Amino acid sequence: MPFDFIQSKRPTGPLIMFGMVLLTVIIATAMTKGLYITPGNLTDILRMIAPEAIMAMGMTFVILTAGIDLSVGSILALASVACAAVLTSSILPGSLLIAIPLAILVALIVGGLCGALQGVLIAWLDIQAFVVTLAGLIGFRGVAKLYTDNQKIQLGSEHAIANLLSTKPVMIGTLVAVTLFSMVLLRFTVFGRSVRAVGDNERAAHYAGLPVPWLKLAVYTYSGMLAGIAGLLLCARNTVGDANFGVMDELEAIAMVVIGGTSLMGGKGSVIGTVFGVFIMGTVINVLGLKNVDSNVQQVLLPVIILLAVGLQLNRKRV
Amino acid sequence: MKPLLSALLSVSFLFLLGCGSSGPATKYTVFFSQCNNAEPYRAAQNAKLKELFAGNPEVKLVVTDGQADANKQISQIETALRQKPDLLIVAPLEREPLNAVMGDAMKAGVPVICLERDIVDPNYTTYIRCDNRAIGAAAGEWIVQHLTEKGGAPKGNVVELRGNPGVEGAINRHEGAHEVLSKHPDIKIVHDAVANWFQDEAMNRMSEALTANKADTIDVVYGHNDPMAYGAYLAAKEKGREKEMVFVGVDGLATEGAQYVKDGVLGVTFEYPLCVDKAHEIGMKILTEEGFVPEKIYMMESSIIDQ
Repeated sequence: MPFDFIQSKRPTGPLIMFGMVLLTVIIATAMTKGLYITPGNLTDILRMIAPEAIMAMGMTFVILTAGIDLSVGSILALASVACAAVLTSSILPGSLLIAIPLAILVALIVGGLCGALQGVLIAWLDIQAFVVTLAGLIGFRGVAKLYTDNQKIQLGSEHAIANLLSTKPVMIGTLVAVTLFSMVLLRFTVFGRSVRAVGDNERAAHYAGLPVPWLKLAVYTYSGMLAGIAGLLLCARNTVGDANFGVMDELEAIAMVVIGGTSLMGGKGSVIGTVFGVFIMGTVINVLGLKNVDSNVQQVLLPVIILLAVGLQLNRKRV
Repeated sequence: MKPLLSALLSVSFLFLLGCGSSGPATKYTVFFSQCNNAEPYRAAQNAKLKELFAGNPEVKLVVTDGQADANKQISQIETALRQKPDLLIVAPLEREPLNAVMGDAMKAGVPVICLERDIVDPNYTTYIRCDNRAIGAAAGEWIVQHLTEKGGAPKGNVVELRGNPGVEGAINRHEGAHEVLSKHPDIKIVHDAVANWFQDEAMNRMSEALTANKADTIDVVYGHNDPMAYGAYLAAKEKGREKEMVFVGVDGLATEGAQYVKDGVLGVTFEYPLCVDKAHEIGMKILTEEGFVPEKIYMMESSIIDQ
C-alpha cells in the first residue's frame, strides 16, 4: 500500500510537515506565476481564512477531548447577528473606545453562552457531543433566523467600526493572537495537559483526579467564544449581520484541524498542526481561485487534497 | 435524571402540539409551500404575501418552509393536501422532484399556482414567472451601453460572479447576458467565478479576481444577485479599486439592491419581481369568482433600477 511505504520511510512528523509546506509553496507559486507568493496575496489569504481559522483553534481543543463541535458555523451566524444589532442600535455610544469593546464583549458572551450550554449537556448530562452540537447547529441558526425574521441587518458600507475591524492588521492580528494564546494554553499550562489527558483516556483522567466535566465545559465554551469572535469579524468585513453566515464552516474548521494531524479519537494533536491545516486549505482555495478553476473541479479536488494530507500524517501502528 | 428528562420532554412536546392555533372560522384556506425561507428574496415573498392576504380576513394563509430540501417540501405539500385546501401556491425548489406531487394536487381538484420556478410538466392551474433570460439580456445591454459611453466603444473587462450553477436563475442570467456580450469581441470576461448567491463568498472570489488582474483594469462586475455584487464592491474597496469599475446586480429588494443603488455602491440593479402580488390577485379570483379561468402563464415584467 503506498501510504505504508511512505510512512515506513518518513523521519518525523514536523519534518514531513515542513516538507509539505515547502512543496505546497513551490507548486502554488509556479501555478500562479508568482502571484501567490506576493505579500499582498498572502495577507489576503490570511484575512479570508481568519474567521474559520479562529474557529479551528477552538475546535482543536474540543477534538483533543475526543469531542466534536458541529455548531460553530451557527454560533458564528448568531454572533454576527447580535453584533450587527448592537452596532446599528441607536443607544450605541458614539465613542469608538466604548463601542468596539462592547461589540467584542457581545460576541464573546453570545458565543460563550452557546458553547457553555452545549458543554453542560455534554459534560454532566452525558449526551454525546455529536448529538448536542448537532442540535446546536440547527438551533442556534434557528434563533438567529427568528430574531432577524430572515432579513439581513445592514451596517452600511461606510460603517466606521466595521471598516476598522475588517482591516488586515486587525483581522490577521486577531488570528495571530488567538493562535499564540491557544498554543501557550495547550502546551504550557496544566489546563492544556489536562485537556489532552481527557481525550487520551477519560477514565484514567477521572481516576487521576482531573475535573473532567469542568474541562469539557471549558473547551466547549472556548470553542463557542472563538466562534463568536469569528462572527464579529465576518460581520465587520461584510458590513451585515446575516443568519445565513457560516453554513458548512464547521466542516472546514474540522478539516483544518484534522489535516494538522489531530486525531478525532482525542489525545493527539497540536495547535501548530492546525496552523498547518489552515495554511493548506487557505493555499488551495486561493490558488484555485486565482486560476479561476471551475467550481465543480474545486469541489472534487479539495476532498482529495484533504485525504492526502491526512493520509500522509497518519501514525498507523502495525499490530 | 432520565425520568425527569422524559417528563420534561413529554410536557414540552404536548405544549408544542397545543400551540398550533385554530383561529376564528375562515371561509378559505390557502397553503403556500415556500421552498426556502432562508433566502432574502423568498423571505420578502412571504412577508408580502402575508401582508396582502391580511386584507382578506375570510382567508386563512398557511406558509411552510421546505428549508431547501425537496423531500421536505414534498411532504409538506402532501400534508397540506390531506387538509383539502381551497388553493395551493407552490414555489418549487427543483423541477423534477416537485413535479409529481403538484400533479397529485391537480388530480385532487385543488387549484395550483406555480410561483417563479418551473416544473417539468404543466401540473398547475397557472404559472407566474419572471424571465431571468430577459433580465440577463437587459444586464448585458446595460453593460454594453455603459462601456460604450465610458470608452467610446463596446470594449472592456468584465468579472462575472455566478449563483448556484444548477439553478435556473443562475443559468439564465448567465446565458441571457452572454448572448448579448458575445456579440462584442472586445468585451472580455476576465474572471468567471461561482459564489453561490452568498455575499461573503463573492467577496473572497472577487479578491482573487482582483489579484489575478492586478495590472489590468476591471470595468464591470456582473453579479447574478445584489448580495454578490455588494460583496464584490467591498472586496474592491478593500484594495482601493472600487472607483475603477461599476457593479451590476439583480433582485432589487428595497432593503438590499435598491438601497445599494441609492447609496451609489451598485451602478444598477434589475428588479426580480416577487410575483406574489400577481399570485394574490389571481388566487383571490380563483377563490371568489365563479367560473374564473386564469391564463396558463403570467409573465412578470422586470424593471431597471439605476438610481
